[in-house]
Amino acid sequence: MSEIVLALNDLEAGYGRAALVLRGLSVTVEAGQVVCLVGPNGAGKSTVLRVASGLLAPRSGTVVLSGEDVTGLAPQDLLTRGLAHVLQGHSVFREMTVAENVLLGGFTVRDGALLARRAERVKELFPVVGERWGSIAGLLSGGQQKQVEFARALMLEPRVVLLDEPSMGLDPRTTQTVFDQIDLMRRTGVAVLLVEQNARRALETADVGCVLDLGTVHISGPARDLLADPRLGALYLGGAARG
Amino acid sequence: MRNASRYALLAAGVALALAYPWIVPNLYLLYAGVLTLMYAATATSWNILGGFTGYVSLGHSAFFGLGAYGTGLLMTRAGWSWIPSLIGSALVVALFAALVGVAAVRVRGASFVIVSIALVSMTNLLVQGWRSLTGGSTGLRVPSPFPDLNRGQSHFAFFYLFLGLLALVMLTWWFISRSRYGAGLRAIREDEDKAESLGVPTAAFKVTAYALSALFVALAGGLYALWFRSLDPIFVFSILIGSYMVLMSLLGGVRHLFGPLLGALIVAPAGEYFLVALGETQVHLAAAGLLLVLVVLFMPEGIIPAAARLVSRPQQASIREEAAG
Repeated sequence: MSEIVLALNDLEAGYGRAALVLRGLSVTVEAGQVVCLVGPNGAGKSTVLRVASGLLAPRSGTVVLSGEDVTGLAPQDLLTRGLAHVLQGHSVFREMTVAENVLLGGFTVRDGALLARRAERVKELFPVVGERWGSIAGLLSGGQQKQVEFARALMLEPRVVLLDEPSMGLDPRTTQTVFDQIDLMRRTGVAVLLVEQNARRALETADVGCVLDLGTVHISGPARDLLADPRLGALYLGGAARG
Repeated sequence: MRNASRYALLAAGVALALAYPWIVPNLYLLYAGVLTLMYAATATSWNILGGFTGYVSLGHSAFFGLGAYGTGLLMTRAGWSWIPSLIGSALVVALFAALVGVAAVRVRGASFVIVSIALVSMTNLLVQGWRSLTGGSTGLRVPSPFPDLNRGQSHFAFFYLFLGLLALVMLTWWFISRSRYGAGLRAIREDEDKAESLGVPTAAFKVTAYALSALFVALAGGLYALWFRSLDPIFVFSILIGSYMVLMSLLGGVRHLFGPLLGALIVAPAGEYFLVALGETQVHLAAAGLLLVLVVLFMPEGIIPAAARLVSRPQQASIREEAAG
């Protein structure tokens, strides 16, 4: 078994005084593994990522990153400890260049030479980033912007990347590119915790799948097995699992 | 080639600025030149905060007035000579701005605008109320830094002093725009929360920009005190001075080094024209207000980006790029 880089243990969380969104949820992600969270709207998928990245403090439970309890730490502190979060939708700085966007990902790195080496590395991983290096990010297509976000997230060489609906609003071909890039991240040893509405496509890429329902993990297991699980097809994927 | 023509244009502009006091036909145009440089320096200083972070302060005249009064008081009360008074006053104002900024830049958008207006109102009341120190509403007379110079020679000297200040502020802006600090400030302008999530120390960066901006505005205020030598709190703490900084920057383009300067080159002479043509009416205020409305409606990014778009069509993501994305 590989090293567990992220462990979410028995999390309970919610917004304000409203009812709990997460109710005793536990998920672990190992190094170089893609874990996918699927489930109906309101199941708490994005909330899991918000708690994991420090954007939302849990009411109870722990977030453990590479063996260290990081529950309640600020997003910047988690960033420097190796956890990056790519938010839902397009989150590039639209008026800044691709170069500025990517370099902002390594903002906490003070060593210019190291930053330049990492920039070269992400340009190799995401060729479109290198090709459009001097372009204004807001003028790129949706898929290109998503790759800029991925590149930015990798500038600190994180151990785990949280991806929230990376294919949202993208056409099928661009979605394929995005999932190819997720696969690429895994091959470079980065662990990925993925939230995705396109459940079938996400499970095809992921190693482990977790089906969320009412703020807890309802079914989990190898992603390929989940795809064939008739309960999943009936509950969440419509006809997708039968395909 | 493009860079060569830019450098040639810059060199011509610098040469024209340096030659201006020697080629203007009368004292009034020299005075108008000093005034324009003063506005250009204050607007460019304002743009260190407004342009980089998107925080619109209408209350920067507080720092202008404090810089002016600080310089005057250090000369009259402490007996300092003009250079230490000018620099000392500006440093104290910058420190004050940093302290105020810790609280002020916690709020964004319209709330920050209101806080900035409150600041200028409070400083105005403070200076007017502290009659024993500041002279209250009767104002403060400042000794001449160059007692041997006549009026024309004084304008001549202050033209170059304000030009030097403008060059210093523009160089600072330029360095910031190319620095890691500048990238952090621009990220704050676009999305503060996102910038923070990437590790940009947003609060520290905003406070620093606020203080730096205030430092240069205070230097301009101090030079104004030395030049005009008669301080009226109603004028130096006028919200109009702060509004002009915003108007000039918006008109030229807040995202550009030369934007506030271009705005000042239009607004300051236009204001003087209205004063000369129509006398002490409020028409120049109405004209400034109308200009601000027109800029916001039709050129929200300012003249420089609008002109740049005319020269080269904006790059758009093509259908091919969409497909290849």
